Amino acid sequence: MSDSGPTPPQRATFALLADILVAEGLGMPAASTVGVAAGLLDRCLEAAPVLAEPLRALLDEAAADDPDAFVQGLSEHRPDDFAVLSTTVVGAYFLSDDVRRLIGYPGQQPSPLSIAAEPEYLEMLERVHDRHPGYRECP
Amino acid sequence: MLMRRTQSDVATDVVIVGSGASGSVAAARLAAAGFEVACLEQGDWTGPADYMSDRPEAELAWVERWSPDPNVRRRPADYPLTGEADVSPVMYNGVGGGLVQWAAMWQPLLASDFRVRTLDGVADDWPISWSDLAAPYVQVARDMSVSGLGGDPALPELDPYPNPPIPIGRIGLAAARGMDRLGWHWWPGANAIASRRHGSLQACQRRGTCMMGCPENAKATPSLTHWPSALAAGARLVTGARVVEIPLDERGRARGVVYRDRDGVERLQKAQVVILAANAVGTARLLLSSASARFPDGLANSSGLVGRRLMQHPYRTVTAVCEEPLESWQGPWGQSIYSLEFAETDSGRDFVRGTKWMVMPHGGPMFAVAEYQEAHRDEGFDAVWGTAFHRATAEVFGHAFTWGIQAEDLPEDDNRVVLDPEVCDSSGMPAARIEYRVSENTHKMLDFNVARAVEAAEAAGAVSTFVRDVWPTGIGHVLGTTRMGDDPQRSVVDRWCRAHDVANLYVIDGGVFVTGGSANPTATIMANALRVADHMIETRASQEVGA
Repeated sequence: MSDSGPTPPQRATFALLADILVAEGLGMPAASTVGVAAGLLDRCLEAAPVLAEPLRALLDEAAADDPDAFVQGLSEHRPDDFAVLSTTVVGAYFLSDDVRRLIGYPGQQPSPLSIAAEPEYLEMLERVHDRHPGYRECP
Repeated sequence: MLMRRTQSDVATDVVIVGSGASGSVAAARLAAAGFEVACLEQGDWTGPADYMSDRPEAELAWVERWSPDPNVRRRPADYPLTGEADVSPVMYNGVGGGLVQWAAMWQPLLASDFRVRTLDGVADDWPISWSDLAAPYVQVARDMSVSGLGGDPALPELDPYPNPPIPIGRIGLAAARGMDRLGWHWWPGANAIASRRHGSLQACQRRGTCMMGCPENAKATPSLTHWPSALAAGARLVTGARVVEIPLDERGRARGVVYRDRDGVERLQKAQVVILAANAVGTARLLLSSASARFPDGLANSSGLVGRRLMQHPYRTVTAVCEEPLESWQGPWGQSIYSLEFAETDSGRDFVRGTKWMVMPHGGPMFAVAEYQEAHRDEGFDAVWGTAFHRATAEVFGHAFTWGIQAEDLPEDDNRVVLDPEVCDSSGMPAARIEYRVSENTHKMLDFNVARAVEAAEAAGAVSTFVRDVWPTGIGHVLGTTRMGDDPQRSVVDRWCRAHDVANLYVIDGGVFVTGGSANPTATIMANALRVADHMIETRASQEVGA
């Protein structure tokens, strides 16, 4: 954890709020159980530092409120603040290797192109050519 | 009163402001022809070491560091955009300009785009025709290692692209089957992404993070395609140089440009000819900032049109969700296929002109779910959060493709760039204030096309679709603020992109577009820059120059 990262109380609050946005269900884990309030949060904020300060302010504010009411209030009345919270939760959640495995996502990995000599769309393309009236003639 | 002290650089034949799509083309061409060329770029070089696209955090890069919105990115080279606009311009300030971040879709204009007044009775005809750009289109496609398939009957024939098209993938095949069932036009997308090793580019590896920089160097960008040859031919590229004024001599010719270097020192780069290539926002801002006693409303602005007629290609999307797995995180993030079915005016519709459609992947899960949530935001919290978050992920991720619908917005005087009276950039130059509203014609056009795209998605076998309203940011091509024309009272530059008011001042970026068409503009911006550079070479003996 970096010196400027969220404090342990802020992380605890973040875990509560994160589980409201991404709850356990449909075979998927809740946000807090994959570690979004720990290392994944640090990775998220390192990648998007603009989120860090407003997020910490939100977490301090949320600590004195009911978590459900706080999140609902942000969602309904404070779209910019809600975007800070939700972007951080979702960004951290999808950094989880477990989550990526469960949704079948290998990441944006390199995958060499395979160019077919005769792509399977050729017949469809011939039909485009046959039925098209041609481009609009201009003076 | 303190005297302003300006240091002078060694004079040059040509100074170019901006190193992106148009500036790089002109620099390479003019330097190869023996001109002394200096190019001033307010940003810096960007390369693979700066990219985040090969990291798991790639999608998060879009939140800030690689946002296409300079107000979000806020790098030192970015200048603020203010005002209230329905669509915010996208731009990148650095070597290569917007082509650092672009999706590399390569699309010539339609032949009819140059004659909209004659054909449809709206806007204005261009002073040039499609045939004037035919040869430059072919040359810049070669220079940019474009991969694509010729023979599209919706466009005039050009020489073949240098590389075969990138495979359209499962998303393109699904979308094409839908268009086939409806009998509508589609064609494999052309992209400035190498499908095989070509020129300075490597073969695409389908990462799908093209807009955060290509770590494989498979996407064409001027730092790979044009600047190496320009520098080898003797061009000088100065980074960290923000141009703030174009001073005139006593005859009203440009003397060069005044810029602030990265240390804040004000410098004069004298030049016989000045070329502005700073995009349609940056160029308008610079001309308006260069007001003088001779040009009180801004340099080269006797027509009053500098900054006006801003066009931005308003954009909506229809996402098709299919049962079959489509691997829709796979790239490239260019266009898999495109359609010009609704690109032309149809007198049976309640709008004029038309759209270009293109199929794209959805990127990683963060982007995919965000799209879903944006489209369903009116359904309330429980529709997209809690356990519904997982339902959305399962439904859309890896099973969707998106029809992007790009509208031709006609030029209107009140859509414009002006100088902000209060906000300045880091060098003290006024910020660009954007005033832009999407017109009723464009809204009707997009509504009609969205309905057709839903039909196309359903014909492709989509089990559900979702629609997004006009994107307020993330697309905004900037065009039209210094339009070309033969009449000095109704245009800023002539058909050779030379300012009517200043004989040694040229504009070669997208600002010169008379109308925007619906095509992605880079192919035309680069082709036109090449056309103008070639004309400057041919006429160099008769070119009027500054003192």
